[in-house]
Amino acid sequence: MPISFACAVSHAPGMTAWANAAPQAQKDRIYGGFERLRRELDASGTQVLVLLTSEHWANFFLDHIGAFCVGRAASYRGPIEPWLQIEKTEIKGDPELAAELLETSYDEGIEPSFAYELEFDHGTMVPLHFLNPRMDRPVVPIFFNTLAVPQPTARRCLEFGRVIGKVAARSKQRIGLIATGGLSHDPGERNHGVIDTDFDQQFMSAMAGGNMDRLARYSRSELAAAGAGAFELLSWVALAGALAGRKGETIVYEAVKPWATGIGMMTFAQAAAA
Amino acid sequence: MSLYALQKLIRDVNRKPACRDAFFQSAEKFSAAYDLTPDERAALTGMNVRKLYALGVHGLLLRPFTLLHEMPEPDYLKAIRGE
Repeated sequence: MPISFACAVSHAPGMTAWANAAPQAQKDRIYGGFERLRRELDASGTQVLVLLTSEHWANFFLDHIGAFCVGRAASYRGPIEPWLQIEKTEIKGDPELAAELLETSYDEGIEPSFAYELEFDHGTMVPLHFLNPRMDRPVVPIFFNTLAVPQPTARRCLEFGRVIGKVAARSKQRIGLIATGGLSHDPGERNHGVIDTDFDQQFMSAMAGGNMDRLARYSRSELAAAGAGAFELLSWVALAGALAGRKGETIVYEAVKPWATGIGMMTFAQAAAA
Repeated sequence: MSLYALQKLIRDVNRKPACRDAFFQSAEKFSAAYDLTPDERAALTGMNVRKLYALGVHGLLLRPFTLLHEMPEPDYLKAIRGE
């Protein structure tokens, strides 16, 4: 079946943990954006979600790092952060779909790692909290190494995304894709609090236009200049690959100083249904 | 490999409650099991955040570690910025 739903959203923990720190008008626009996406997801009949997300040292350390890790567990737990203001819960997995994603990836020349145990932190739970609040759809998480150098290249993420799109499109299930992370931010680093709105706007413009050539050319140095957290946008690039360059719509962009992050949301609902 | 050991210790303290308890009981005793340089050990046991950052500890390991020490964000940022 065609991909039933696709969106890209930030996952800054402040959105739930210190929500009141942000100006009300920005919060209204951001939560309104999530509400619109949640309605689109509900209306799409999506049965299972593939969630392209970032590793934050929650599951992996430098003893073993892969570029991508596909979760093939029957269930997951999260969040690991007791302060996130999201109730700890169980989220169903979809081991069969995970296996298909892995086998097809290997057949296509991309070899993600895989794990039968993964814990979810804010990078997974924040988007699920807003978009799938009943936690009733199974999730296949795919974790991207956005922390340890070298991170995968944007070009490789685009190629991996193409495989994900291929698997989703031929599935008998209605599969929705959520990419999450970014935009510019520098958590725990010297430029914490700096938001590069020009970078963010340019990146979202490339995503909205389905500009695969531009997305593939984002270099490590270009991402690093927008803050260590900008590497999380590699999941967005993979989403563009899955959607084969179809166009999207920016529904929210807010530079939220108290959350120290450029917060963006895009929908590809129309493109996904096309 | 030494930076690896230093970051491993910090990650263990951040993520494993038993390690956290042991560290806060005695940082010196706990860190003895990790292959650290004298410089790293001194920065760790003295909670010299500026030095730990300069030694290369990743910000997403170091900031959660400082939160366990109840270090306010402005103090953390001053420390890593060398202000």
